[in-house]
Amino acid sequence: MDKPIRPEEIEALVAEFEASGCAELHVRFEGFELHLSSDPAARTVARQTAPSAPAEPDSPPRPAPSASSGPAGADDLDGFEIVRAPYLGTFYRAPKPGEPAYVELGATVSAESEICLVEVMKLFTAVRAGVAGTITHILATDGQMVEAGQPLFAIDAKG
Amino acid sequence: MAIRRLFVANRGEIALRVVRAAQALNIETVVGVSAADTESAAAKLADRAVVLGPGPASKSYLDARLVVHAARETGCDALHPGYGFLSERAILPRLCGQHGIGFVGPEADMIDALGDKLRARAMAAAAGVPLVPGSDEIASAADARREADRIGYPVLLKASAGGGGRGMVIAHNGDEVEAGFHKASAEAMAAFNDGTLFMERFVGRARHVEVQLMGDGNGKVLHFGERDCSVQRRYQKLIEEAPCAAMPDALRAQLHTSATALAASVNYRNAGTAEFLYDVERQEIYFIEVNARIQVEHPVSEMVTGQDLVGWQLRIAGGEPLALEQDDIRVSGHAIECRINAEDPALDFRPSPGRITRWSPPGGEGIRLDTHMSEGATIPPYYDSMIGKLIVTGDTRAQAIERLSAALADFRVEGVPTTIGLHREIVSHPDFVANTIHTRWLEQTLLPGLAIAAE
Repeated sequence: MDKPIRPEEIEALVAEFEASGCAELHVRFEGFELHLSSDPAARTVARQTAPSAPAEPDSPPRPAPSASSGPAGADDLDGFEIVRAPYLGTFYRAPKPGEPAYVELGATVSAESEICLVEVMKLFTAVRAGVAGTITHILATDGQMVEAGQPLFAIDAKG
Repeated sequence: MAIRRLFVANRGEIALRVVRAAQALNIETVVGVSAADTESAAAKLADRAVVLGPGPASKSYLDARLVVHAARETGCDALHPGYGFLSERAILPRLCGQHGIGFVGPEADMIDALGDKLRARAMAAAAGVPLVPGSDEIASAADARREADRIGYPVLLKASAGGGGRGMVIAHNGDEVEAGFHKASAEAMAAFNDGTLFMERFVGRARHVEVQLMGDGNGKVLHFGERDCSVQRRYQKLIEEAPCAAMPDALRAQLHTSATALAASVNYRNAGTAEFLYDVERQEIYFIEVNARIQVEHPVSEMVTGQDLVGWQLRIAGGEPLALEQDDIRVSGHAIECRINAEDPALDFRPSPGRITRWSPPGGEGIRLDTHMSEGATIPPYYDSMIGKLIVTGDTRAQAIERLSAALADFRVEGVPTTIGLHREIVSHPDFVANTIHTRWLEQTLLPGLAIAAE
């Protein structure tokens, strides 16, 4: 790089970004990196990017994100009931491999509806919705380990 | 074959201790925590922490399947069980073995064998180790009376499946032993699902001495000196020392030889401690049991030998040879450890979970504090109440006591009651300083003395 970037240039970049209506901007060149986001829930995931931290092993690529799959920002889940993993285990969306999932987005559930399995050492436990309503978010990935308390689904109990 | 990523299946100060030892060996760490421990010191220091389950131990730390599932799914190739919890339950190493995870400790079968106190006694006898004069399995009350008459009163009826002082009944004569047989058997069945009893001579003034062992699993066993753990309350240790200053050298040598021979005879692998009863009057030592894990009080042995015992555990589990000879291990100086609990001695040692509002530990020469606590940390209600181990060394026992007294005076904790005040009373007591104590001294002499003083 010929000369280091100046503060006024960064300010100009930020102003342009805000005016543009873009959701995200990444700028990277030697010695400089800038990440701007208009999402208030965006946060650096420093731990996962640190070279010494063990990455989650054998993670399949993230499923193509739809508006409500995968981890959501805190604002997205406001007003919904969160169904959480009762303990650590492997999360399964269907009763058996190859069978249809217990629920999909938009599904209507009762409090007693079984919506997923959490498996520990081949012991499968069905998790129930706990509240009647509509599935608005699927927050964990099929076949992946989830921790105790980890959000699995969001349910709109008023819908 | 060296461990690449270690799962730490415990909590509190020992989880932190294991994480530190692993980091010193460039081993990655994953700690399994309960929902009550997500902000713990070990969770923050480790490379990763995963939440196993809710606070209660039965739903988290005591669930072997949860623990091994977590270890496997986080890509760990080894697991350290700490002490307590599942550390001496054979199901843990068995499950680890089934899922390709190395267990930092002995094999499952060894844990089973040593957990059966009758079998452990038989192993000791076979290795020529002196036992407390006692019996094999007692089949009936009449049997109990006959054996007790032979051994000599008073006697102690013990559960074969018990340990750590649980399920024991004293009898002073034939009638008491017959009644005691029924009581002890029922209690053992209820507590351990096994009513099998045996009997030992009851030694009135005994000291508890134990030998720190490390085996490579191929017959080589080293000892790291002995510890004296005679300050006890209800069979729980409060203070431990290394070495045992109340033992003459010849007897100490016999102690080391016996303990090592026992472990070598079974090709013991990894860390273990052989516990003995020291009958000071008779100048005899008797084998009690082997604890097949690292123990709470391991730091005093580390301080007087300069060795990292948890580090050795990890290296042996990683397939390294035990590249040390007995002559390389020298005991020098004296170390004393005080287990500090969040308990109120004035309220019968009631555990007092809560939030630490002030944490002002001592520091300086010869002071080591193994703790997970800090200012603002909370002590959850689900587990034991130990908040730290204060370990102080000196060139001599007298110097160690001097430093320990100063350290205890400097140690300020607020927000929860602690046993720091009790430890101050103990280490300043003439019996402790003169080292004439025995395992019932705290309950028979010091505590009643304190109660009188408070009135």
